[in-house]
Amino acid sequence: MGDLRLEGLALGYGPEAVVRDLTLSVADGEMMSLLGPSGAGKTTILRAVAGFIRPRAGRVLIDGRPVDDLPPERRAVVMVFQKALLFPFLDVAGNIGFGLKMQGLDPGEIRRRVDAIMDLTGLAGLGRRKVHEISGGQQQRAALARALVLQPAVLLLDEPLSSLDANLRQQMREFIQQIQAETRVTTLFVTHDQGEALMMSHRVSLLLGGRLRQTGTPRQLFYRPADPDVARFFGGENFFDGRMENGLLKTAFGDFPAPDTENNGRRPLATIRPEDVRLAPEAGNGSVMGEVTQTRFEGMATRIWIRCDGGLVVALTPESRWTAGQRLAVVFPPDKVRVFPA
Amino acid sequence: MTRWRPKALAAGIILSVAVPFLPLVLWSLSERWFFPGLWPQQWGLRAWQHLLDAAGGQIASGLAHSTALAAATAAVSLVVGVPAGRALGLYAFRGKALAVLLVVLPLIVPPLSVAMGLHLWFIRLGLAETFAGVVLVHLTVCLPYTVFVMWGVFANYDPDFEAQARCLGASALAVAWRVTLPLVWPGILVAGLFSFLLSWSQYLSTLIIGGGRVLTLPILLFALMGSGDRPVAAAVSLVFVAPALLVLLVSARHLGRGGLMGVR
Ligand SMILES: Nc1ncnc2c1ncn2[C@@H]1O[C@H](COP(=O)(O)OP(=O)(O)O)[C@@H](O)[C@H]1O
Ligand SMILES: [Mg+2]
Repeated sequence: MGDLRLEGLALGYGPEAVVRDLTLSVADGEMMSLLGPSGAGKTTILRAVAGFIRPRAGRVLIDGRPVDDLPPERRAVVMVFQKALLFPFLDVAGNIGFGLKMQGLDPGEIRRRVDAIMDLTGLAGLGRRKVHEISGGQQQRAALARALVLQPAVLLLDEPLSSLDANLRQQMREFIQQIQAETRVTTLFVTHDQGEALMMSHRVSLLLGGRLRQTGTPRQLFYRPADPDVARFFGGENFFDGRMENGLLKTAFGDFPAPDTENNGRRPLATIRPEDVRLAPEAGNGSVMGEVTQTRFEGMATRIWIRCDGGLVVALTPESRWTAGQRLAVVFPPDKVRVFPA
Repeated sequence: MTRWRPKALAAGIILSVAVPFLPLVLWSLSERWFFPGLWPQQWGLRAWQHLLDAAGGQIASGLAHSTALAAATAAVSLVVGVPAGRALGLYAFRGKALAVLLVVLPLIVPPLSVAMGLHLWFIRLGLAETFAGVVLVHLTVCLPYTVFVMWGVFANYDPDFEAQARCLGASALAVAWRVTLPLVWPGILVAGLFSFLLSWSQYLSTLIIGGGRVLTLPILLFALMGSGDRPVAAAVSLVFVAPALLVLLVSARHLGRGGLMGVR
């Protein structure tokens, strides 16, 4: 068990830094997601924590101790890669027991611990199989078991589910969550899938272009994005500005309370999620009128583009009665509007 | 695929390799065999007896020389070729094109020129007519093959296996021994056997650099062939080929099983 702290990390391969000024803490027993689009530098960060890349600046601390001078094998950090990377020359049990063998444990003890972890990860009875004789999901679980059996201070998971199909991925998400809750191993889970990050972790940290943009609970990132980029990453649309007056942001779509936003002369930006936009056939209190320009059926909801005086609004509604050319009233409920701190 | 097919294939290969040796076997067992007889007119073990008695010492020493040379060449070739192949297969580095050219060069330049050219240098360096000198000239042939085989192996190799092992607690040394080696073992086996056999069958380069001092089996074989005693030459040929065939069969068994599958 342990906590992980990254302080002012700068990482890179060539002359350009890939990750800059990264500070992040993962508490003991916490499941933290590192979320970001492909190429943001997520794997690079995990490699630095595991000890495969030397930071150009900053430090990595585990349980409060800097580990920058320790080689990967002495960090009590285990990384599970995107590919399961099971050794083809060992059977499943041999793979799971690999780390214990490296520690020089006696074979009986190794067997006991491997059996226990195989029970926990639902691999009981598969120990003698060759690695290509088990399914993709089982391979990922074996890779996870191989890491968990060492009871690492910090577990690093690098998109371990991205090679699985949708159904299996959902099962594995729940499975990893459950295992993490049971073992309480400090976990840094990397994913590019926002849904995955939101549903699986205690806290989420969003990485865009090599910089951490926001760290917080899933709800905080989703409902109170720190800036428009964060909002956009979580599917945010409808960005509009206004001017501050007595703690209210006055916009073309209404006046919205903005207690955290400073009145510094600039025009602050606000956003509302498409699914929070209310639609009505008739004008009402606080509504603005607009005309539907386009609709797109997406299954559970229909996406509607509406031209209003204040600009284009995108709404996501379970109703499917709207068609292009129709006029309707748009309401932004004030409690759903997020005004960015300027 | 059904089970007998690989076996039939193996049998076919073995047969096609073995058939050309039939005349050699016949020759070595003949006392008199004149044209146009389809079989020897008179059978006998004179050639084999000669090998065991009169020429026995020579043949044994030739065998020992050839084996020692081939083993040393294969070993050095692996020690140099495996890291080189790894570098070429896994990393981009400055001067890579030049490195590739240097590896290919001995294969393009006729071996005779290589041996002649090296001979002059080796005389100056005191390597001519020495075991080490012959190993070096054999390496000009074997090393490129080893590098190429290992290059191919490492081009399909995922170095993340090593990273995975490191964070599971294996030291760099343990990783090399317990992860890298098992993963590339089939390639090492192929490259090693190739080098061994290439060195084993060298004649011209051994003659030029060895200067008649390093008497390998091929050198003795040519001398015996020159003497015009066909049955004896045939018998020596078989002695010469036997280890190669043995090695081939053993490796075919080994590679047949895991194959190069482990490398991915
Ligand atoms: N071994 C490497 N050498 C050079 N550049 C690399 C290497 N690995 C990754 N990069 C670059 O670093 C950036 C971040 O990569 P990565 O950490 O793998 O992103 P992510 O895991 O978030 O998709 C990318 O632009 C990628 O091209
Ligand atoms: Mg990645």
